Amino acid sequence: MTDNSNDKNRAEGPERVLGTPSESSEERAVAAVSATDAAHEGPYPASETHAHPEEQQRRGERIAAVWFVLAFLGGVGFLVSYFLFPPNAQGTPAIADPQIAQYSNMLLGGSLTLAMFGIGAGMTVWARNVMPHYEVSSPYDELPSSEEEKGSFGAFFMRGADESGITKRPLMRRTLIAAMLPLGLAPIVLLRDTGPLPGDKLKNTIWADGMRMVVEGTDRQIKAEDLENAPNGMISALPDPGGHGGEEGHGDGGHHLSLNEKAKSVILLIKIPEADYKPGMNENVEGDQSRLNWTYDGIVAYSKICTHVGCPAALYERTTHRILCPCHQSTFDAADGAKVVFGPAHRPLPQLPIGVDDEGYLIATGDFPEAPGPTFWDYAKD
Amino acid sequence: MSKTTQAPKALRGVGNFIDDRFHLAKTGEKNLRKVFPNHWSFMLGEIALYSFIILLLTGVFLTLWFKPSMAEIVYDGSYERLQGVEMSEAYASTLYIDFDVRGGFLVRQIHHWAALIFVASLVVHALRVFFTGAFRKPREINWLIGVAIFAIAMIEGLFGYSLPDDLPSGMGVRILQGVMLALPVVGTYISMFLFGGEFPGDVIIARLYMLHILLLPAILLALIVAHFMILWHQKHTQYPGTGKSNRTVVGTPMWPGFAIKAGGFFFFTFAVIAGLSGFVQINPIHLFGPFTPTSITSGLQPDWYMGFMEGALRIFPNTLDFQIFGYAVPVAVLVPGLGAMGLLFGVMGVWPFLEAWITGDKRAHNVADRPRNAPVRTGLGVAAVVAYGVLWLAGSNDILSETFSINLYLTTYIFRVLFIVGPIVAFIVTKRICLGLQRRDRETLEHGYESGTIRQLSGGEFVEVHKESSQDTVDVLQSKPTITSTALVEDTDDKGVENPEARKAKGRFRRALAHWYTKDNVSVDDVEPHSGHHLHHSESESSGAH
Amino acid sequence: MKWITARRRHPLAGYAVVILALALFGVGYAALAPTSDQAQAQTLAAEAPSPDDVDIAEGKTVFDQTCASCHGLDGSGSDTGPDLREVGSAAIDFQVSTGRMPSVNPDVQMPRRDMVMSEQDLDHLIAYYNAEIRDGESGADVPYGIPGSAPQPEDFEPNRADYDSEEAFDEAEEEAHTEYEAALAEYEAAYDEYIEGADDTEMGMQLYLTNCAHCHGWSGGGGALTDGRWAPEIHEATPREIYEAMVTGPGAMPMFNDMVITSDEKQELISYVKTLQAEPNAGGIFDLERVGQVAEGFISWTIGLALIVACAIWITAKQRAHD
Repeated sequence: MTDNSNDKNRAEGPERVLGTPSESSEERAVAAVSATDAAHEGPYPASETHAHPEEQQRRGERIAAVWFVLAFLGGVGFLVSYFLFPPNAQGTPAIADPQIAQYSNMLLGGSLTLAMFGIGAGMTVWARNVMPHYEVSSPYDELPSSEEEKGSFGAFFMRGADESGITKRPLMRRTLIAAMLPLGLAPIVLLRDTGPLPGDKLKNTIWADGMRMVVEGTDRQIKAEDLENAPNGMISALPDPGGHGGEEGHGDGGHHLSLNEKAKSVILLIKIPEADYKPGMNENVEGDQSRLNWTYDGIVAYSKICTHVGCPAALYERTTHRILCPCHQSTFDAADGAKVVFGPAHRPLPQLPIGVDDEGYLIATGDFPEAPGPTFWDYAKD
Repeated sequence: MSKTTQAPKALRGVGNFIDDRFHLAKTGEKNLRKVFPNHWSFMLGEIALYSFIILLLTGVFLTLWFKPSMAEIVYDGSYERLQGVEMSEAYASTLYIDFDVRGGFLVRQIHHWAALIFVASLVVHALRVFFTGAFRKPREINWLIGVAIFAIAMIEGLFGYSLPDDLPSGMGVRILQGVMLALPVVGTYISMFLFGGEFPGDVIIARLYMLHILLLPAILLALIVAHFMILWHQKHTQYPGTGKSNRTVVGTPMWPGFAIKAGGFFFFTFAVIAGLSGFVQINPIHLFGPFTPTSITSGLQPDWYMGFMEGALRIFPNTLDFQIFGYAVPVAVLVPGLGAMGLLFGVMGVWPFLEAWITGDKRAHNVADRPRNAPVRTGLGVAAVVAYGVLWLAGSNDILSETFSINLYLTTYIFRVLFIVGPIVAFIVTKRICLGLQRRDRETLEHGYESGTIRQLSGGEFVEVHKESSQDTVDVLQSKPTITSTALVEDTDDKGVENPEARKAKGRFRRALAHWYTKDNVSVDDVEPHSGHHLHHSESESSGAH
Repeated sequence: MKWITARRRHPLAGYAVVILALALFGVGYAALAPTSDQAQAQTLAAEAPSPDDVDIAEGKTVFDQTCASCHGLDGSGSDTGPDLREVGSAAIDFQVSTGRMPSVNPDVQMPRRDMVMSEQDLDHLIAYYNAEIRDGESGADVPYGIPGSAPQPEDFEPNRADYDSEEAFDEAEEEAHTEYEAALAEYEAAYDEYIEGADDTEMGMQLYLTNCAHCHGWSGGGGALTDGRWAPEIHEATPREIYEAMVTGPGAMPMFNDMVITSDEKQELISYVKTLQAEPNAGGIFDLERVGQVAEGFISWTIGLALIVACAIWITAKQRAHD
């Protein structure tokens, strides 16, 4: 403990001869006790000690004891509660049943509260009613050392430094500093292998021309006609790279995709009555392809990951065609190329070009034109 | 002295054993005699200390079962509802703690409640220190340590919140990654390195776990120990009162008074946290379901201490975003995501030195200011609290919108306006209130206090009887320091030569600040206590009324 | 009052007021906070009412009186109400059974409330709609196979006027009660069968969390939409109402038809959210309405920190020096 050593240094510092009376008030206070009130027994002077009458102390003792007994019962209750509810035996859930878990939690928590509060209250009653009330004065330490001490320290330090040669031998000093520099970089360099370089990884997803898509959760492939009689339908979908194998119409996208792939490739399929599309859909996205060319039969696909900081923006209102991100309320207009109409996001949700294959299944006809997900420094660079 | 109980033999034995090796008797007694001023607001830091101890204890318990692994498994545990669901091992092991370990649910809830209360107590403790000026010399370094504890505690909490890999916690990590990506040039690299690849990857929980249970708690523990030792060494500040001065501290000594009180307070803190944990469900991860990067819930929130950052992300407009040579700089992510935190901790860290620079005050202060006696500081503090509060509320604007049926977009606009206007109004109002209180203090000093007793004078007039204030009150009122600044007086030195520094832009700026900082002030220097005309007759008349 | 006046300057008075306020707050909260056994107004699994039981003429009366003023006598809509001809009977059943129609104010979103007409009248209305207004087979049919509202005791109560003597009425009441109990048991069995008939929690969860939770919340607590609209909480919604909402897309909600999410898959989804909602709160009796972190933060300050500070006030309260 540094403060202890400081105190010790001060108490035994060179400026004071051992054995002479200290200036610290504690010792003065002790001296005062013997001088002014020899009969007083407490650790602090009588003038700073306000004892309670015996009657109050007795009452305090009784109240504190009641609290401690309650705390004891609480503690016993805690132990009993622990063994009251068995852990889960083979095939018979006990605390795994949420209702039993609730009873167990409340009994354990309640008894622990009682035990803790009882001890706290008992100690408080003890401190307030049994123990005297102290109002002890004590000096704050003078913080700055005397000029003499400071000067002595400085001179001593510099004499040592000079003698060591560090001040007088620049070659040695400078080469030592130079020797330290590369080592300072080592910890940073050592962190290099914590992950790969970004490269193009954030810009590309597994979407590719001809890849079918599945409903997230059911892993069933989606046909364009599935959305036929839902003029305002919406569904969260994933790519199905497994594609055409397996039983008819049943993909395995959801289960075979890694979370990384899902996080980048998840889309929102929205069916919008074509009359509702706004002029923004006519602007060209790639070459002579307009956004409208990238829809199929009124179905449009946008990345589900918000371009602000990456929450799934999925809150689609069919009446306004707005897509709202529930995290920070960035709002995109699905009927207008997912343009930002409100909130902190800056760029539209990337649109996925879609079409149908010869069996009528919805497919991607390419990857997103730009990186999906949160905007980063070079997202727009190829 | 003769009737004092002898220390029991065993205790003496241990004492001698230790003292033989460390020579501690004298230091020990000195420390047992350490004096702590008595006021409830001086216990706020202790709440943080005790919550931290509770966090350490419960955290160790939780690590016995928690598996920081993102390996995908199909759940086949005791909790029936989620059987057959794909999840990470981290989530499954948290379910194990909840539903297979007796008391595990309770301990997890204690850990979470204690975390919320830990940060909350840090905030109120910091506010107490700020408003009473207890950060002034010689305690600036301890203030800085406190700011560091606050900052690390927030990050520690965020990481802990992310570990169970449930739906909202994973989204917290996602937002963290989104903010990281926004950093110009280095964003994608930092994200790739931290996550070991793309989001979410399969190492982030293990890495956050290491930070959460090892690195950050170790730093926190070190800082808390340093904070406490500095406090111990410098002794606590005290409020003004009879016998209390910058040279003398008055209060309860460590032994036996304060030790018992502080010990009891630990049990109170634990009791309240245990009570909440026993009866109020917190962060029910078994209900949320496991994290997937494609799912989201409405009303998604971080724990409260990240709320101000969430609010800043919500209300900051996107109009300042720009591109430079085709590279994107998403200001609407950078400013709220990193700037809000930087601003909070930056301003907190700089303030003690800024105030000292404005006032030129180089004295050591051990008597705390009454907030009203430093109206500009108090006003600024309240303004900062209001700004923080507005951001915090904005972080739950969707909940507010739904609960109070207010248009969602409108709440955003309201909070944008409030963030600018609120602090200004708060500053002005607070300063006025402070000055009003100063005037009332002056009144009380002059005339005594209003006793609540109404008397009818012989002329038929009703007056409230004023009584003489106690000596302690008089001392408190008279202790009011006059706020001055050296910038306002050192225009000329003792030879009548103008200080050249004061004429430079920096000097003029400082003088303007000093003027603003000191101009409003109700002086009590010329007031004789109880010199008012009400006093003497009312004292004699009302002596029987009490 | 005198007692208070005399003590309001007492050094402990301020603390006493704080503690009293805290206690009141705590007790008030405990009294107001909902417990986990929120009444589950539930749901009735029934067959489609047979043609003998419904009266199309009665349905027309209901329609003309309660619907036509906005939707037009032929259901073709007006400025205040949309065209009903293609919405399907599921939409009619959803809007009326959740009390949203007839609307009090067509300009604002309607909250859920008790149905204003009787089950019987709704059956008549749907029969009339199907026969006269609906455009062929357009829209979705009422999914009668899925449990709707639970039988209500009122629907079984005999009318006193129909009975001559007190005894006969008592007897009829008793009988009605038995009938009601039987209907309720039948309903509950059907409800449990539907909920427990789902066996793929993973699918139900993914469907719910990726397509519903972003508006209605992870536990169906609802959430804010734009322009002052909101996604309603769906705790009271019956499985049939959830199903109907999915296939008809009420208000701003998009549609999820049976091609995209089949009825079996919808059963998984509905079972997931209903099971979740019925789940007891393992962490204690107060669930803070399952709002989550905002409520937790609020409680940690107002209850947690405040109680601890109250203890600190007790510990350090001024003691009169010489008593």
